Amino acid sequence: MTLMSFVYGFLAILGAFVFQTSLTGINRKVTARLQKRRGPKWYQQFIDIFKAFSKSSITHGWVYDFGAIMALGGIAATVIFIPVAGFQSFPGLDNIFVISYVLAVGMLGMAMSAAGSGNPWASIGVSRALTNMLAYDIPFMVIVFTLIYQHQTGSVSELAALQQGAGIWGWNAFQLPLGGLVAVIALFGMLGKKPFDSFIAPAEIASGPMVEYGGKQLGMMFTLHELMTFIEVSLILNLFFGGGETLWVYLLKYAVLYTFTNIVSGVMPRFKIDQAVTFFYKVPLGLALVQGLLVIFGGWGY
Amino acid sequence: MQVTTKNDRSLWEVIGDYFRANSIWMKWYCTGCGAIEMPPTMTSRFDMEQLGMGPMATPRQADVLLITGYLSTKTLRRVIYSYEQMQDPKYVVGFGSCTLNGGIYYDSYATINQLDQYLPVDLYIAGCMPRPEAIMNSFATLIEMIKKGEARGWKHYQENYDWYKANQMDSLGEVIIHDEFHE
Amino acid sequence: MMTMIILFMIASILFAYVLSLKEPKWGAYATLIVSLAGLVGVSLLRGSVGETVSFYYLHFTVTTIGWYFSMILLTVYFTATFFHPFWMDQLIYPAAYNALFLLSLAGTVGLFFAQDLMTLFICWETAVWSSMLIVQQGKSRQAAWVYFVMSAIGSMATLFAILLTIFMSGTTMITDAFIYFMGSPALGGLVFGAFILSGLTKMGIFPFHVWLPLAHGSAPHTFSPVLSGGLVKMGAYIAYLSVAVFPAYQVFGDQLMLQGVPLPIYALMLLGGVSIVYGTLRAIQQDDAKRLLAYSSVANGGYILIGILMLDQMAFAGGLMHVLNHAVASAAAFLAMAAVAKRTGTTKMSELGGMIHRMPVTYVVYLIAIISMAGIPPMGGFVSKWLIFQGLSHRGLIFLATAAAFGSIGSYLYVFRPLSAVFLGQLAPKYEKIKEADPLMLIGMLLLTAMSLLLGIVPNVVLRTIAQIQIELGIDPIMIKGTITATQNGSVNMLSVFTVFGFGFLLILILFLVLPKSRRVGLMDTYTSAEFIHTPELLHYGHHFYAPFERLYEKWPSVLPLYQRLSLKLKEMGEWAETFFFHAEPNRAVFWMVLLVILITVGGAR
Repeated sequence: MTLMSFVYGFLAILGAFVFQTSLTGINRKVTARLQKRRGPKWYQQFIDIFKAFSKSSITHGWVYDFGAIMALGGIAATVIFIPVAGFQSFPGLDNIFVISYVLAVGMLGMAMSAAGSGNPWASIGVSRALTNMLAYDIPFMVIVFTLIYQHQTGSVSELAALQQGAGIWGWNAFQLPLGGLVAVIALFGMLGKKPFDSFIAPAEIASGPMVEYGGKQLGMMFTLHELMTFIEVSLILNLFFGGGETLWVYLLKYAVLYTFTNIVSGVMPRFKIDQAVTFFYKVPLGLALVQGLLVIFGGWGY
Repeated sequence: MQVTTKNDRSLWEVIGDYFRANSIWMKWYCTGCGAIEMPPTMTSRFDMEQLGMGPMATPRQADVLLITGYLSTKTLRRVIYSYEQMQDPKYVVGFGSCTLNGGIYYDSYATINQLDQYLPVDLYIAGCMPRPEAIMNSFATLIEMIKKGEARGWKHYQENYDWYKANQMDSLGEVIIHDEFHE
Repeated sequence: MMTMIILFMIASILFAYVLSLKEPKWGAYATLIVSLAGLVGVSLLRGSVGETVSFYYLHFTVTTIGWYFSMILLTVYFTATFFHPFWMDQLIYPAAYNALFLLSLAGTVGLFFAQDLMTLFICWETAVWSSMLIVQQGKSRQAAWVYFVMSAIGSMATLFAILLTIFMSGTTMITDAFIYFMGSPALGGLVFGAFILSGLTKMGIFPFHVWLPLAHGSAPHTFSPVLSGGLVKMGAYIAYLSVAVFPAYQVFGDQLMLQGVPLPIYALMLLGGVSIVYGTLRAIQQDDAKRLLAYSSVANGGYILIGILMLDQMAFAGGLMHVLNHAVASAAAFLAMAAVAKRTGTTKMSELGGMIHRMPVTYVVYLIAIISMAGIPPMGGFVSKWLIFQGLSHRGLIFLATAAAFGSIGSYLYVFRPLSAVFLGQLAPKYEKIKEADPLMLIGMLLLTAMSLLLGIVPNVVLRTIAQIQIELGIDPIMIKGTITATQNGSVNMLSVFTVFGFGFLLILILFLVLPKSRRVGLMDTYTSAEFIHTPELLHYGHHFYAPFERLYEKWPSVLPLYQRLSLKLKEMGEWAETFFFHAEPNRAVFWMVLLVILITVGGAR
């Protein structure tokens, strides 16, 4: 841990933000094309975020602000843990459980801040978001357990490196096809893409946790969303799609994976939250357990 | 009441105005029939998003308040409440002739005739109802106004708060709410 | 040293009782000082491992694991005593409460240092009886009754195992006696099952969990933290004894092995897994914050049981560390709820709200506690859960891992519920005037908060002790290097994690402060679709927080009716038996008396 690590960490946060925000802008255009529209400028997402920062804002008490800072701070810290094309600002901190639980700090902060606003819709949104998390995380965790058992390491960068060198067929998504499918479905849940976006339902609960945010807090929440997307897509990319040998390969794969989720979600309706739970516990959890049993008792993947 | 056009912005405000002009989030208050013109404006045919505009769920997040048609006094209370929950800088656009002069409801006891007596309107769109082309055109105008720093209604509202409040009170009076929720 | 501590504790019980009779408040302070002295005294015993002391039939010895468990218990007892002075006027028998509190403390500490089986059993019963009498002083007598019956089931089974062990092996010393069963799987299995039963009932492992929510929910607010953070951990010690001291893995060596775990032990672990899932689901449903935390203790008991039963490098260390982490976090959460209950008079979440605006420090205490309980870094709970996860995935125990993952994510749901419904949201007008908890109470709570934080940043302080326990047991110790905690399949440096987290927080704090200041608005100035609402209670979302999710399993059967039917049958049988001896007419009683006299005479003549 040197001073340079912190500098690299800061650059990682900045880079992740710039890259993912541009990609979001491009994907807004992709969605628009799906709907036969022209769509906004590719840098529209930057304008939106900076606009939010430029406006005046309100606060509902110290926990409203503190939660927002804790949320974005926690997520920003998680970005530092993510290995990008094998590079880490702080080597040795990329254990998969550490990443997924540090991520929870940010989510808890956001939930706290939203509930602290005193708006019941925010609380409903949070309750749905947490239920959604309970739905998608269990199948994902089962697959992660399987991966750790198979490779005897919990380090994300090592798991990514193990898949490289054998071409596309070395990727876990093809080595463990059921697991790969589960991971991609879980990614939709993580990103809050349709059909698992009931917690931000704008017309029903007025965008859920976001309901009271305006001005700089809203800007922080948008930034948080971009960084969180980066973490989640990176996680799936590193674990199941071989990470990246070089930065460009990594970013290219990343863009393809993210755009894929975006396109699929563009033609999806929305699940009610209990339907999402039932779905995740029927299909992906079943697939994940079958995959796990095949690996552990059937010796698949050795 | 004239909208002031005094323009002495700092550099930060100029930059801020650039962002605000290119990213306008709407809170559209479906008060009247004009709201029906919004869906075609938003969707594939006219595609409002190419101007950087989009609908938002709550007034906290929104930049512009659209009053889409006639406005009954009962709704006016809610509109004012929503407007005051919006974050500065914020803009108001009046849709159609009903917000201008009352339109076909000009002699109704239940509607207001002139929106700018109660809220600082930055832009009116004439027509009954305005077609999507007119709406898109007016949004382009709004963007220009924001960019130049001319859409200063929110500031005007702050400066002449007493005048607006007096008008609002005059029209609405004081109502003591009593229903099954309020004892 | 050891002798002094034991004598001091026994003397202090009487002293506290007499003092409390005179003035309950002084007695309450006496419990504080006595538990502090106990804490200091026991912490000094660290150096004298192996020292033995005997009082007539009672034999004690200092062991590393005993020292570790005693320190946990004493910490919880000590912090709970900070609340005592404020609760004396709410108790019916304050003097008895203080004396029994110290008695149960002495019983538990004695249990952990017990050298022979009879001492173990006597100390166990002392702790159970005294705590039962305290629970009875709370809201419901029935709760104490259920607690006692459940404990009695475990105690009787354990007594049977102890007597059988002593009879078969001819010695009462724990370590020597259990070795006897090395060569006899059938008998060993019986003793193992009977012995661990008291541990399972005490930890509230499914299906013996029914007493936990009842007892925790209705015990005096000052005693719930001790029940959940302390006394439940006695069960963990019994589980430890039955798997580590009792050679369980050798006894079941010829059984079917599942990923290196013998089937009987795997079955117990599955019970632990069921407890995790069941406790989580039930905790999500609760409306009373204390009952919610009680169900969370059921779930966390499952983690501890699984961890300890694994008896390996990672999960075992995780299980033992989780005993400490959960004790600290759970005690802090219960104490925070006690502080809220002291001010508002209720622990029902649907009746509270917005407490953060009146009790900010209590809120912080609760926040840190639940972060640790949910296993989120940088708090202690993360490290232990991480170790358990690593252990489970190393062995490939996929179903247990699924349950553990479910309990872990599910805990976000239930720990957030009180945070949101009690502390955040709208403040009801009736609580407009309440004040922050008393400074003395805050000190007790903040001690636990600091501990949770420290355990998360430098877990190796504790893991060093656990590594020593593992060395004494002859298994691979957990690897510690500086601030790095390493296992076979992954390592973590919690200090770095904390530093990076702090760095991220600092960056965003700067960003936040640079941007223009926000305008403070009232809590009722929220978006309501432009509807005017003037009743804060109506804008507070506290009822059925996870309604859509709860609906999915609200119809699931509960084990409670089964127990109710059983107890009814038992009662009927008792009444039936009673009719043999007692009746309105004196004939039967006289008959039995005459028979007794005859038997005594005949027996005496021989």
